[in-house]
Amino acid sequence: MYTEVLEEVICYHCGDVCLETPILHEEKAFCCHGCEQVYELLNDNHLEAYYNCDINPGISPTDKNFDFLNNKAFRDRLITFSNAEFSKVSFHLPAIHCRSCLYLLENLQRINPQIIKTSLNFGKKDLTVWFKEDQLSLGALATLIASLGYEPHISNAEEKSQNTNQKQLFLKLGIAGFCAGNAMLFSFPEYLGIEDGSLQHLFGYLNLALGSVAVFYAGSDYFSNVYAHLKLRKMTIELPILLGILVGYGRSAYEILSHSGAGYIDSVSGLIFFLLIGKWFQQKSFDFLSFERNYKAYFPLVVTKIANGVEETAPLEEISIGDRLLIRNQEIIPADAYLLKGQSQMDYSFVTGESELIPIQAGQSIYAGGKHLGEAIEIQISKELNQSHLTQLWEQQAFKDPNHKTENWENFANKVGMYFTMVLLSLATIAGLYWYQVDPSKWSNAVVSILVIACPCALAVSYPFALGHGIRWLAKFNFFVKDIQAFERMAQVDTLVFDKTGTLTLQSQKEPTVHFKRPLSDFEWNAVYSLAFQSTHPLSKQVKKLLPHCSLIPFEDFKEISGKGLEASFNDLPIRIGSAKFTHNQLQAPEGFISSETRLFLSINQEALGFIEFPWENRPGIEALLHRLRHQYEIHLISGDKKEHAAHLLDWFEDQDQVKFECSPLEKMEYIQALQKQGKVVAMIGDGLNDAGALKQAQVGIAVSDDHLHFTPSSDAILNGSELPQLGTYLQYAKFGLKLIKASFLLSLVYNGFGLSYAIQGNLYPLIAAILMPINSISMLIIATWGMNWKGHNLMQQKIRLKAE
Amino acid sequence: MYLMIGLSLFMAIGFVIAFVWSIRTGQQEDLITPAMRILQEDEKTNNL
Repeated sequence: MYTEVLEEVICYHCGDVCLETPILHEEKAFCCHGCEQVYELLNDNHLEAYYNCDINPGISPTDKNFDFLNNKAFRDRLITFSNAEFSKVSFHLPAIHCRSCLYLLENLQRINPQIIKTSLNFGKKDLTVWFKEDQLSLGALATLIASLGYEPHISNAEEKSQNTNQKQLFLKLGIAGFCAGNAMLFSFPEYLGIEDGSLQHLFGYLNLALGSVAVFYAGSDYFSNVYAHLKLRKMTIELPILLGILVGYGRSAYEILSHSGAGYIDSVSGLIFFLLIGKWFQQKSFDFLSFERNYKAYFPLVVTKIANGVEETAPLEEISIGDRLLIRNQEIIPADAYLLKGQSQMDYSFVTGESELIPIQAGQSIYAGGKHLGEAIEIQISKELNQSHLTQLWEQQAFKDPNHKTENWENFANKVGMYFTMVLLSLATIAGLYWYQVDPSKWSNAVVSILVIACPCALAVSYPFALGHGIRWLAKFNFFVKDIQAFERMAQVDTLVFDKTGTLTLQSQKEPTVHFKRPLSDFEWNAVYSLAFQSTHPLSKQVKKLLPHCSLIPFEDFKEISGKGLEASFNDLPIRIGSAKFTHNQLQAPEGFISSETRLFLSINQEALGFIEFPWENRPGIEALLHRLRHQYEIHLISGDKKEHAAHLLDWFEDQDQVKFECSPLEKMEYIQALQKQGKVVAMIGDGLNDAGALKQAQVGIAVSDDHLHFTPSSDAILNGSELPQLGTYLQYAKFGLKLIKASFLLSLVYNGFGLSYAIQGNLYPLIAAILMPINSISMLIIATWGMNWKGHNLMQQKIRLKAE
Repeated sequence: MYLMIGLSLFMAIGFVIAFVWSIRTGQQEDLITPAMRILQEDEKTNNL
């Protein structure tokens, strides 16, 4: 049914291009045995419909074992409910992406009858499973789910969602809406000027009851926030708002109770409703993303401990100084330690950003965060987990205080709010005193009108709406901003600092170039392929990708020499791949700046043949991005790598002072600090691995990630790698948002100015002031929504046009 | 007249209670999945 004519074979399960020879099964091609196995498993359980919901829906599975979840510490944390018959557990499965996932995951009980039922929350990517724990352990369940391609993300103890908060807001929003709507109904006779004494009083009391609920329940956050800020001697925008609400409410209560008028509870509760809508709008959260990961997210959750010669798994938190651990190939070192047994190629790229591997012999010390490549080793922990070289970075001030950005950031609304409050209060006092002297019948009208009409609800409404829409639009472009404060800071950035590796440059997608003295025979190519197949070195992986049509052939005398290369004989023909020296190649003087680390040399029968070059390449579109940005921003480049690796980028950074190489993670952070001391508003753009500190320190830390569902470091915003060339446009969009707010604020000032001039003269009836107020709010809401959407649509169209070209 | 007001109040309060109940029991928590779930085909009924 699905025969391939193209050269690229698409995996029937996961839809990836098969890099190696595809595996054929029932006339369907699979890229790996994992995909094939999932297919078989689904077929055996009559779940083929999985493939009908979507085209190539699957995810290549992992063979990771989750048996460590059976450890009591994990079990107790994950299982939310358990009785004699069943247990209930929730997993976060970041790989969920389509209808097929829903179909498969909600039919898990057909694959394993010990599963009673499952329920998926698609938005949050959470799967809740009810299962019989006495027959199916938690670890086995997680392993089963992982083997289908949905590897559960097991979080650290600290990661917690703020669900209850949102529920509260929903409740308040609903109640406020209810109060506002009904208050309007009861005020209807008043609007029409119908006078009917008894009903008027009844409606008045009903209104007052509704208004009290709206002000004291729905608006309770305003009371607590203002109180908290006043205690810190700070005035925020919320103070004049609360003042307006309270004065309006107080006046209405007085009128109603003294039967002197109808009050304007409808306006007051309407205002609260609008304000809460704004709040709800700004709380837009990306449930499936985590912006707050700390270093522990990088580490394994469990380690293999060797105690009295027996291997056992233990949660990471339980290890201490002196423990012996077994570290297998590709595992990450959890704490500073000594190497006891074996030898290792340590990949510190995560810690330092350097791409070279460092050979480590027994007895030498190794640092947390290094990834071990090679045969399993034994290490002895020399420092506590939280005191190691790597984690010290997180002990810096920026990390200790989770609010250091939001608290120290004077946002526009609060800055304005402060002056606004003072001007307003003095104005009201002066007008009140004046009228008290001149015409005592007018003073209360004047004061109330001033406070009500000048209530900066326009700003309070337009701010969350404009920025909330902004966040929503950017998320459509795969640029996820943490909150509206981060969005606002983004608009004020004037300096951009880029990290190099993984951000501006990528391991090239371009074909590596082959520089051999003579063409190789098929046999020789196969030999190179077979040799590379034995190793997990990054270059070996590249070779495997480069030679998809080669096949494995037998060999003898295989040797892997750390830091040098690989060697084996094929039909008594010795073949070596590796460094220039190891393969007796003459290392030519480097042409330009290109470094030798990305070259793989070859010798056959001790004859040097040349090398294959694997270029690091700029991300597509980077040159244009830098070209555009450097006119608008000051741009910097920092990198943990050596200068030679970045020659192709240097042209874009005019001033050599703005380029810094061989930075440690801490130095990167200090670099940002130095810029901030000069009064610059810095955005750091990095991949979040070795520049986590810098991301945290900068006013805006933007993590560039090609796989944001699986890995999102601590940052203010997460940008999909393919969107990086558009960064300038998105920053402009943020600027536009803030401009829009300022413009609408000005407009409302003008509008309020007119009202105020009447109010000061004591000619404005509070009722009219109270009608003007919601009209003002609605117009601000419309301006903010319309403006941001209009600009967002423009961006979208621009993007579609770009893609078409 | 007063009966009508009483009735309308009664209804309005009923709606508020319904709303509070729906939030408390988490009915608004996942608005995406049920919409997708209903589109799943029940192709397996004949097998059972």
